[in-house]
Amino acid sequence: MSQLYRAAASEGLIQHPLDSMTLIFQKSSGITHVVADLVPAILTVMGADALTAEDITGRLSDSYDLEDSGDAADIVLARLVELSSLGLVEQV
Amino acid sequence: MHQLYLTVGPTRFRLASTWRQPLDQLAALYKDYPTSQDGYADFTVRLEPEKPWRRYIRPSVHISGDFWLPDAAPLPLDQSLLAAEMGMNLQMALGWRRHLLLHASSVEKDGKALLMTGLSGSGKSTLSAMLAEKGWRFMGDEFALLNPDTGMVHSFPRLISLKNEAIAAMRAIVPENRFGPLMKGTPKGDIRHVMPPLDAVNKMKDVAKPALLLFPRFGHDPALRDMGKSEIFVRLTQASTNYVALGETGFRALTRFVDTVPTKAMDYQSGDQAEELIDSLWSKLP
Repeated sequence: MSQLYRAAASEGLIQHPLDSMTLIFQKSSGITHVVADLVPAILTVMGADALTAEDITGRLSDSYDLEDSGDAADIVLARLVELSSLGLVEQV
Repeated sequence: MHQLYLTVGPTRFRLASTWRQPLDQLAALYKDYPTSQDGYADFTVRLEPEKPWRRYIRPSVHISGDFWLPDAAPLPLDQSLLAAEMGMNLQMALGWRRHLLLHASSVEKDGKALLMTGLSGSGKSTLSAMLAEKGWRFMGDEFALLNPDTGMVHSFPRLISLKNEAIAAMRAIVPENRFGPLMKGTPKGDIRHVMPPLDAVNKMKDVAKPALLLFPRFGHDPALRDMGKSEIFVRLTQASTNYVALGETGFRALTRFVDTVPTKAMDYQSGDQAEELIDSLWSKLP
């Protein structure tokens, strides 16, 4: 069975888009993360749900104009692993 | 223990020293600043011998106070003025929480502030000192204090610390009676302090709206460059001594600053070139 992920509660994060990057201030740790394009979108489509990388890729395809790339789910999974190490998503 | 109370901008310091010399030098250079009579201070800086016998034998000054760094090397007594200034910087850098501290110089004109930040040697201190002699109000050459509630910049006009070549450059435009002693061979090279213009001291409670941020770089052909907001934000977090300590308050103050204050990287090879570039930018501000 694929790993499920859940985003940190949105009220605990402050997202602030700058230019090509977005700042995410994490209230629990006081850490400011500087993240690239895909990450804010991943957190947005995850909402409060527990989802697999494939679920998230599906939601991204519905909401955003993803390039037709067969490895989109792998890219999403790689981001989820990174976000999980930062405490911005948790493995459920 | 001798002591002296000094008020600089919003901060009240108590300076205590085993020797009279540094306090006499400070009292002369800060003669126009208000002193506190009620014994209250935000921070205490202590200048004491490293060991009891070092009060008399090759006297060396150890900096301590409310906040200190355990590995700070002591300085010889003839550099005790530098020790006092470093001690005050240290208290602000490590202990101040009322404003977001940016390691930047600032000057004001028409209620608007120009901030300059960058690495040591970028010329931010010298540029602010030079502009202060040319119609701008000097607000500080070390820390700009950003009010997290209002977004305004508060003045912190300590003595201007000139290093190496900047000493001769400023000697050409500032009268001798505003200079402190020349300290040769300090850990930062030759250092000489200058009293800010009297106007800067009299108006040190006046705040200013941040209107322009520059990242100056000395020694390159004159040029102005745009910078991405992400780069500006990250460099300002590096330039702030208390961004992390202020938590969400610091984040909100800094993002507001980056969103609203026009910013440029500025290369220059002389004070005249820098002044020309600054004037060209300033004249186009809304």
